[in-house]
Amino acid sequence: MPVGTGSTVGALDALADVAARPEAYAAQWKARTGGRVVGILPMNFPREIAHAAGVLPVLLQESREPDTMGRHLLAEFYCGFTRNLADSAAKGALDYCDGFFVADHCTQLLGAVDVVRAEAPGSPVFLGQLPPSLTDEWARGEARSMMRTFVDEMARFAGVPVGDAALSRSIALSNDNRTLLRELFAARRAGNAALSSPQLQAVVKSGMVMDLAEHTELLRQVIQGLADLPRDNRVRLHLSGHLCHAPRPELLAAIEECGAIVVDDDLFTGTRWFSTDVAEDGDPVEALACWYLERDRTAPCPTRVKHETDWEDTLVEAVEASGAEGVIVLMVRFCEPHMLYYPELRKRLNERGIPHLLLETEHEGLPVETVQTRVEALLERIRRTAPVEVSR
Amino acid sequence: MTAPTTDKSSRLAINKAGGKMVADYWDRIFTARERGEKVVWYNGSAVNPIFQAAGMAWCHGEAFSARLAAQHLEGPAQLAGQEYGYVGELCSYARTHLGCAVLSRKRATGSANGTGMVGLPEQAELAGRLPTPDLFVNAYAGCSTGQQWDDISFRVFGKEVPIFNVSMPFMWSNRPGEGYMVGEEWERSSRYVAEQLRELTTVLESITGRPFDWDAYRQNMAYLKQASELRQEAMRLCRLTPAPATFWDWIASVAHINFLPASQELVDFFAAVKAEIEQRVADGVGAIADERYRVYFDGFMNWNHLGLLAKKFARYDVAVVAGRYTHHAFWQEPQLIDPEDPLLGHAQNNLLCPMNHSTKTIERLVLRDCDYYGVDGIVFHSTRTCRAFTNPQRLVAKAAQEKRGLATMFFEGDIADASYYKDEVLDSRLTAMLETIDVRRARA
Repeated sequence: MPVGTGSTVGALDALADVAARPEAYAAQWKARTGGRVVGILPMNFPREIAHAAGVLPVLLQESREPDTMGRHLLAEFYCGFTRNLADSAAKGALDYCDGFFVADHCTQLLGAVDVVRAEAPGSPVFLGQLPPSLTDEWARGEARSMMRTFVDEMARFAGVPVGDAALSRSIALSNDNRTLLRELFAARRAGNAALSSPQLQAVVKSGMVMDLAEHTELLRQVIQGLADLPRDNRVRLHLSGHLCHAPRPELLAAIEECGAIVVDDDLFTGTRWFSTDVAEDGDPVEALACWYLERDRTAPCPTRVKHETDWEDTLVEAVEASGAEGVIVLMVRFCEPHMLYYPELRKRLNERGIPHLLLETEHEGLPVETVQTRVEALLERIRRTAPVEVSR
Repeated sequence: MTAPTTDKSSRLAINKAGGKMVADYWDRIFTARERGEKVVWYNGSAVNPIFQAAGMAWCHGEAFSARLAAQHLEGPAQLAGQEYGYVGELCSYARTHLGCAVLSRKRATGSANGTGMVGLPEQAELAGRLPTPDLFVNAYAGCSTGQQWDDISFRVFGKEVPIFNVSMPFMWSNRPGEGYMVGEEWERSSRYVAEQLRELTTVLESITGRPFDWDAYRQNMAYLKQASELRQEAMRLCRLTPAPATFWDWIASVAHINFLPASQELVDFFAAVKAEIEQRVADGVGAIADERYRVYFDGFMNWNHLGLLAKKFARYDVAVVAGRYTHHAFWQEPQLIDPEDPLLGHAQNNLLCPMNHSTKTIERLVLRDCDYYGVDGIVFHSTRTCRAFTNPQRLVAKAAQEKRGLATMFFEGDIADASYYKDEVLDSRLTAMLETIDVRRARA
């Protein structure tokens, strides 16, 4: 079945192309605009600040290249993303970035950022740590202060002032983009199976790389002509995890090929990315600080410390809302916040009788046969316990 | 080169008395409830002088994991953690401590039979001895996992125990002029942490129901300053050849400087350490029998193999004269402490955790040490489940080779999980490094 009209298909192809080759898009954007590109490290640096400065924020993605030159720069027990980031820096594959901004304190990410600074000595690498403990009474003030610093540093980097009006415009544009993404994912949750998981990932991932207005326009084209394709009787799954980068699209495809259909997720390159809007009224810097602090309420993240929110509750609520019959937890190998939190998820899923499967992922090597065997076992378990419809 | 087999190490005699001090400390922790003391579980930096002044019993999670590993008692706790769902690649300090938390919680709630993998005797040994907490305090510098670990402890205990977090900014040095103890980042971060420590004292008042004893706190910090000065002076004597003490001796007194009560006894202990080292210098006695090589140790301690490693390096005639873990942590800048107004200096020493700097700073500190102690090479302990400590190692190794011509080697192990250590790998790599040093000397 076609996923939609010609313009939808064309827009999807364009987004998929950017998602597959972000560096090519950035180079083309630079050539086209003469502007500067800033590499953004996941997860919480607000792209609106770079956009308001007229800079293209490119959220750095895991490349598809095998690690070679960077292998001696970080130990093998770092997550695939950080090792690949170090490798990309060592190969000069990040040279298209004129600078780098980091707002997060993941210890493995810090190791990779140190490599980036060492391998790209001519490019500024600004690390400003947003307060990871969101419960502290001084967290809001610290977050606001750091957002102000980010704005000032970005202005220095871009060589232009970044005023409140420009920030507000970027925030509004970014909110529009998130709204459209939410619409697309809500359609999937409601039963529209027109887009596969790899296609939806490409839609989100391309938005982490592209000029906002350009991405938003393509998103509109995707949505306007999207077919309404009711999902069939495949087993409905929720994907959870992969907190700071994309799982391989081949993995998503392998899961769906087993006779499952993904109906919702909390992936970084999924609902986590667009979970929270930035307030458009009032002081934009304050609004960005609140956005950061609120994100953990709408999409709890184990990399933050917030005692009031529980990822496991949000997960179970999402599963119930979408009618998912099981959960696949995609854990990036060596991701410590996820390793720490996983038992809490497991406990709650077990309490609620929700079948689930843990799959660890790596930068290199995707054992499709093994993955599919395990997924098929999960699906078989779900089918065996599902109520049987008896025709009379 | 073949490895000789006799024990050529000569550890400081004072270590024996030091060991008893540590054992006594843990016994007091295990019996804290019997004395009606409130108990705080904490992780990360040394905020314990504040707990001591508040009259609480303090249990450092990492220290307890390290102690279990050093005594080869970590197995049951790690098994309990595994059963609960923690993956084996997770920080083994956290895994071990969380395993204890799971067991303690089960015991406290009367469900000690709930675990199928850990036998009841082991549960009793571990869970029965570590008192459940009245408060969690997290003060982790340089490691995001440390902060998340305590949040999970809080959850394992059903969110029923209050938790206080001290946020420690990572010292990245964005601008020229920022770095080790200098620049705007340093000044701002110091004040930020000091204010959080002040806030901690009010939290403790609410837990204990007593006003915080600032006089006791000042006294504690004065003791720590004295103890640290003695320790630093003794460390510097190891510049001499033969080295009168080694990294392994400093490891043996990490507990003392890190979390034992600040007291005259502590000061006396480090005075005795220094005196023994001075006597060795006077007598020309080295910490190993035949010092032929001097190396620096970069990495977290491998607590499962302390004795083995001390003997192994001595057998190869290698004096491990200093290390990032021992020499760049634990009140190593005592001059920052003003005993009359100690909060700022306390906060600053907490910030100076050896994992809390960017590679640029760590490289400078390590190479400075290498110059001072006159080492031939650096041994990097690639600490499997401690990414924070491992972060800068490859870049520092590169700098040591290129800027100083030092020989370097890596071996893999872990802080508290014995399974990651490969003895033969260390032997072969150490042999190769020493041969490299021999060749360089022959060519010189």
